[in-house]
Amino acid sequence: MRTIFAALFLSSALLGQQDIKTYTLANGMKVIVQEDHGVPNVAMYFFYKIGSRNEHPGATGVSHFFEHMMFNGAKKYGPKEFDRVMEKNGGGNNAYTSNDVTVYTDWFPTSALELMFDMEADRIRDLAFDPKMIESERGVVYSERRSSVDNSNGGMLSELAEATAFEAHPYHWPVLGWPSDIESWTMEDLKNHWSMGYAPNNCVMVIVGDVKFDQVLELSKKYLEPIPRREPPPPVRTKEPEQMGERRVTLSKPALLPIQIFLYHVPNAKDPDTRVLDVVSTLLSSGQSSRLYKRLVDSQLALSAGGYSGDAFDPTLFQVYIQPRTGVDPAATEKALFDELTRLQTETVPEAELRKAKNQMLASLYRRLKTIAGRADLLGTYEVFRGDYSRLFTEDKEIEAVTAADIQRVAQKYFTARNRTVATLIPEKPEVKQ
Amino acid sequence: MKRLLMALVLCASLNAQVKLPPYTREVLPNGTVVYMMQRTGLPLVSFRVLVKGGTESDPVALPGLASVTAELLRRGTAQHTAAQFSEEIDGLGGTFGAGPNDQATTINAEFLSKDFDRGLALVADAVLHPTFPDEEVRKTVARRVDGLKSTKDSPGAAINSYYRTFFFGGGHPYGRVPDEASYDRIRRDNIADYHKSMYVGRNLVVIVAGDFDPAKAKARVTETFGAAPAGNAYPFVADAPVPKNNAPRVLLVDKPDATQTYFVIAQPGVRRSTPDRVPLTLVNTLFGGRFTSMINDALRITSGLTYGASSSVQMSRLDGAITINSYTKTDTTAQAIDLALQVLKNLTDKGISADQLASVKAYVKGFYPTNTVETADQIASVLGEMEIFGLGRDEVDQFFTRVDAVTLDQANAVARKYYRSDNLTFVLLGNAAKIRDVAKKYGPQLIERKAKDPGWASM
Repeated sequence: MRTIFAALFLSSALLGQQDIKTYTLANGMKVIVQEDHGVPNVAMYFFYKIGSRNEHPGATGVSHFFEHMMFNGAKKYGPKEFDRVMEKNGGGNNAYTSNDVTVYTDWFPTSALELMFDMEADRIRDLAFDPKMIESERGVVYSERRSSVDNSNGGMLSELAEATAFEAHPYHWPVLGWPSDIESWTMEDLKNHWSMGYAPNNCVMVIVGDVKFDQVLELSKKYLEPIPRREPPPPVRTKEPEQMGERRVTLSKPALLPIQIFLYHVPNAKDPDTRVLDVVSTLLSSGQSSRLYKRLVDSQLALSAGGYSGDAFDPTLFQVYIQPRTGVDPAATEKALFDELTRLQTETVPEAELRKAKNQMLASLYRRLKTIAGRADLLGTYEVFRGDYSRLFTEDKEIEAVTAADIQRVAQKYFTARNRTVATLIPEKPEVKQ
Repeated sequence: MKRLLMALVLCASLNAQVKLPPYTREVLPNGTVVYMMQRTGLPLVSFRVLVKGGTESDPVALPGLASVTAELLRRGTAQHTAAQFSEEIDGLGGTFGAGPNDQATTINAEFLSKDFDRGLALVADAVLHPTFPDEEVRKTVARRVDGLKSTKDSPGAAINSYYRTFFFGGGHPYGRVPDEASYDRIRRDNIADYHKSMYVGRNLVVIVAGDFDPAKAKARVTETFGAAPAGNAYPFVADAPVPKNNAPRVLLVDKPDATQTYFVIAQPGVRRSTPDRVPLTLVNTLFGGRFTSMINDALRITSGLTYGASSSVQMSRLDGAITINSYTKTDTTAQAIDLALQVLKNLTDKGISADQLASVKAYVKGFYPTNTVETADQIASVLGEMEIFGLGRDEVDQFFTRVDAVTLDQANAVARKYYRSDNLTFVLLGNAAKIRDVAKKYGPQLIERKAKDPGWASM
């Protein structure tokens, strides 16, 4: 071996763990604060533990639609005001919805801190549901779906693949919602969603930046604490039954290149095997020295290839995405992938390669800590998905603990044919369709 | 009362000018310009190497040459095979990326501070001593051709290349976008020759930013980049005028399965060094550069016609374009484009208000710190821009002052000067059978292409 890599270790001192303080308001909202005076700005993130898994058929996508409606007026700040006032005060925002969570992200100069508390409290407590805004926002969301699903080959195939892998659990339906549901959401759906999930005790607020903890605490007590505690969303009862055999599904549409998606059922974020799968996905697809890059991309079989598993509240999927090259039979890329997964099951990963993957993961985590926005996102994500933000500071030890034997065991457990869904986009000639 | 207090606090804070941290600039004997900017805190170091020229330096017949050369830097060097190079980068947990913009190729890498020497050696090896093995050249070019297919399967990505080739045309460097045929013409010799003449001392800028030991860094950079042949700086052309339309021009790209129409509306703009850059940045942010912008308010927030509508001002070395970008479902194509044109006309006819100007000043200043000086690699990027465009550190240090100094008259003069609603260039990508008549409305002489065919707008 030409190259020897030393192990990287994150130190909690360097990560600034000592600057983090937390507090739980009387109404149950958890507040996580990290002071950082590097730039005169603040990242303020709200993680609501509600997403498309809390929906029901007929109103799929309503979590995401609700996310949009949170910008369309409340009691004190009416339609359009949230964004207008925020931008006028030097700030901006965004939000995202996933299967599990809805997250609101505000970035602003320190001078706007109290204003942001006022505006966030206003919309959490007193969101208005203006029928006119609902109709125009419905068009916006449908356009979002048209862009990311209907006119995106990867998006369309991914939706089909996940709906095939999950038959019973709510991860079956897309976060954006089925088209007919987008057309049919009612004001009542929105109101029900609000009363189910937007309780302060179902939310974690993370603030990173040019603030003082005492000041944040004071503003939290003034603006957020008076919002009454409510019942959190009911537990998601449905569990996905064990998959009992390979599922195959195809999508035929005009396209210049095929796409393949391979899905394997894997556990939720808190399961120890999830850390092992994170290492597996790094081995498979991180960097040009990764196994799938070498086997599929460098070998000229595929344009791109990669696998990953994300953190989820409920058992989720390990996903592999491959775009075969022109003239390559998708059966050939499929075989190459299965060979690589079999290799993980039958051969021990060499120590140097395992070291490399762990270094990549730690360095990549490190990079996400460079900005106040990156840290706000990580702290909230660890708090919500791993149960405690401080897990971020033991992540190095958790990654370090993964052994070659763990990888082999986990590969044998999950990468089986009966646990697999294979979705393939097969291009049809554009002329055929219309 | 509370509002008044808030306003006072706001003024105090926003007027605190963000400044670049201390840095050094030095020219090595071979002409390489070296910047060093130290910032402790995170044990990371960022290397940013700029090679002047960018896509502008692609030979007329070989669009894509600068880009393919950049991609191949790591795929075989004097010291490493492609596989060894990737093992090294990944093993250190480092990053390495390379690619051109309009006027420079950027090689960007980041390592842990403790790996400074190994990281710099890898970067220098790739930048200065690539070997361009035949096999790697062949594979990269072939992959690029398939990459075009993947792009054409994604209408939101493809429309940009159609717009560039149609608006600027093949006679302008910004209109020469690589396609299947140009990739096919690129040979190993072209790449090696390009590298030999361009990756030379007088044409290089090396920026080291982050947590490192400056004395040691200077020695290492001098040993590596200082040893490159001096060569000659790339002779940029003095000017290349943007083609002017005598009448509106329309390109319609057919993608029969599209359920929405993607569109770009373009007109001539400015260059990065324009003295109007600060007022123009403010005006464009108001017009189409933030969520509550005029164009997003009209097309998204008020009417629900789209998920997003924006405008951008190209800030390159030569004069570029001002573009409006959006998309809408097929049967509201005319409605969305008409509305975009109406908003454009309103800007030129009515201008902006004092309230709007105050709002956008606060917005632009509010985001400036996190966009510009929060991380060492952001600062490296700013230093590189200053060098490439011949700007001084006052570009950052005086930015707030210059924003504050823009008057309503100046802003409105800039709005009238650059945003015109006549003789525009339109590019529509969607289901041609359903939107052909709509497209004709905007210009009688329609040019048509098919998204499944090779090439972009030019024949």
